[in-house]
Amino acid sequence: MYPRDMCDSIAVVDGTREKRRAEAVPRLAAEEVGALLARYHPDYREAAFRNLRVGVNRGDRTTHEIADLLEAFSDLDHSKIDLRPEYDTDVLVLGGGGAGVTAALFAEGMGSRVILATKLRLGNSNTIMALGGMQASVHESDSPVRHFADTMAAGKFAGNRKLVKTMVEDGPRIVKWLLDLGVDFDRDGEGNLAVKGAGGLSAPRIISIGDYTGLNIMKVLKDQIRQVDGIDVLEFSPAVELTTNEFGECNGAVLYDLGRKRHFVVRARAVVLATGGSGRLHMQGFPTSNNFGATGDALVLAYRAGARLEGVDSFQYHPTGIMFPEHMVGVLVTEAVRSLGAHLVNAKGERFVNELETRDACAAAIIRECGRGSGVRTPSGAAGVWLDTPLLEEIHGPGFLKGRFPSLYRHFMRVRINISKRPLLVYPTLHYQNGGILIDEKGETTVKNLFTAGEAAGGIHGRNRAMGNSLLDIFVFGRRAGLAAAKRKYNEPGNVTLNHLYRYYDRLKSLRISSTAKSPTLFPEFIVTKL
Amino acid sequence: MPGDDASITVELEGRKIRIPAGLTVIEALWDTGHDVKRGIGCLSGLCGACTVAYTERESKKVRFGLGCQKVMEEGMNVIMIPCFPSRAARYSLEAPENPLEELRELYGELYTCNDCRSCNVCPEWINVAGVMRSALEGDYEAAAAHVTDCVMCGLCASRCPRNIAPHYVALYIQRSLARERPFPPNLRNRLEEIESFRYDGEWSRIAAMDDGALKQFCAAMEGR
Repeated sequence: MYPRDMCDSIAVVDGTREKRRAEAVPRLAAEEVGALLARYHPDYREAAFRNLRVGVNRGDRTTHEIADLLEAFSDLDHSKIDLRPEYDTDVLVLGGGGAGVTAALFAEGMGSRVILATKLRLGNSNTIMALGGMQASVHESDSPVRHFADTMAAGKFAGNRKLVKTMVEDGPRIVKWLLDLGVDFDRDGEGNLAVKGAGGLSAPRIISIGDYTGLNIMKVLKDQIRQVDGIDVLEFSPAVELTTNEFGECNGAVLYDLGRKRHFVVRARAVVLATGGSGRLHMQGFPTSNNFGATGDALVLAYRAGARLEGVDSFQYHPTGIMFPEHMVGVLVTEAVRSLGAHLVNAKGERFVNELETRDACAAAIIRECGRGSGVRTPSGAAGVWLDTPLLEEIHGPGFLKGRFPSLYRHFMRVRINISKRPLLVYPTLHYQNGGILIDEKGETTVKNLFTAGEAAGGIHGRNRAMGNSLLDIFVFGRRAGLAAAKRKYNEPGNVTLNHLYRYYDRLKSLRISSTAKSPTLFPEFIVTKL
Repeated sequence: MPGDDASITVELEGRKIRIPAGLTVIEALWDTGHDVKRGIGCLSGLCGACTVAYTERESKKVRFGLGCQKVMEEGMNVIMIPCFPSRAARYSLEAPENPLEELRELYGELYTCNDCRSCNVCPEWINVAGVMRSALEGDYEAAAAHVTDCVMCGLCASRCPRNIAPHYVALYIQRSLARERPFPPNLRNRLEEIESFRYDGEWSRIAAMDDGALKQFCAAMEGR
């Protein structure tokens, strides 16, 4: 239940609903969006960034949080570790989310022996938290070319054209794969895949499974992993370092067994790095929608091995992260709520942005409102704006929210907030790493035999990702990485070394960088901030 | 939280301890120095990794929930029970003509269900016993319609005296039904278009565009 102060503010939202429904907030012109972002979007806050001093991307801009990790030494005592492989396999997949599991399934399908290692449990990932849906151009008014145009424009033309084309062209095919596995996407009356619109899309293109899309896909993929013979799953075994051979090609990884607290080596002919993004680094102090394990490990591991990064100064702040109650801070409210007509409302009861602007513009507008004192305060002193969910009941009829967003409805009923009667307090939440490790169309990085897929990969989404393109991206590039990695089956992996690491450390030392930070992070430090 | 009573006394993993009010089970464990990782996942109530069992003050009933969602209360006694084991059948959905007819063979224990409803402990408020009843009666659509929100935490299976794993049974039904549905016509059309190179002309025009031309092309496409 909301405390009294917030109830007073809710009365303002209720009182202005009629008036707001009558007025239109025009879409911003391209220049206006540019100005809004430059002033308020966290990616443009210069003090939050610095240029890397070491490695392939030396001179490139990234956040302090990531630079601190890239310019750091590992916790691993290399002199004490036995590099003789405990496991030898064809393909080693690191990461147990949608991208990793897809890569493993396709590699296994090609006849490769696969080991999939993951930090937490298989499937504990951001994939299951992708609620709203997945883009695929299946509607008759739509086309892969239209999907391409929308994706390039959303990414401010910073995305790699070839990668975007690959993703949109593979889209319908990967949907077929998922259907064949028994993923039950929502249908319309004629048996077509039901599609919805979203911010920045010029045609309805979001396919979904209620408001639990990613979870229901992941359930099926996990089930499928159990049904095949060639995949061994190692849970609670995060990768702490990649290994390379005498030619600098990737040939495995050092994993850490969390239960038994010891390191071990897996040697492989190809490695697929799919350990996701970096939301749990809480860039610039933002709350995050990301799961516990999203600590940017892939960036650290790949960068030390010599892989080029792309666009790691660009992050997506999802406009509608929950700000109250406290234990739900950062949790996402799906964009579909705005697509269907819910208003963003400031403390004065005014709309301040068209809710169908792209995510970055909406987020910047909310930060602007809170910065100029038009935000609503929570008991702990944080600020947010209202997302007027009761309006959806007025537009679409009573019972709409419970029927259309059952999980959202239930999550709030648990804390005695009825979202069909009370709005939600929201603020941008760190949601997605737009950049990552640069890949080609096969999913291969600039290090031979090292593939990447999913949020860890970069080059696709430019400087802003459109809703529903991440679920698509993980399956398309997970498949491609898995297939390409499987083809390295006849490679000679060579000796397992950490030579790349010694070279990297020498470079750090010669620049007199002596960071006390240790990387990869593996688990976020949790400080309970409510005291 | 300001305004709340400062602290409460609870029993965490068998230890009586004072904690600040307003923390979830997981936050309380962290706050008191427990190094919990195994039962942590999404922290959003979606992954089902953080199942907990607890008793409340002056209540005889053992309750179940998700550690990232359940807020601690005075007098609670709570433990984490992640990764409860249950049997998942092995099968190939491609092989049988009608996979649902295999259900009895794969999950025979389902047919020993006597509707005791012990499984109705779902943190997602699914009527698990009702779903199992529908499955037993062969009303698979009804069973599948109610498990979209299942997070596979396995709490229901932990309660079943007949060793039924309702979450795996339901998932098998979901997958089988999805495979039986006719292929969506809109997707079929699009795949045929792609396979007949319908868009190749447009793609080659795009490939020849410089950045300025591409921006114009995209703007036109979006009707701006």
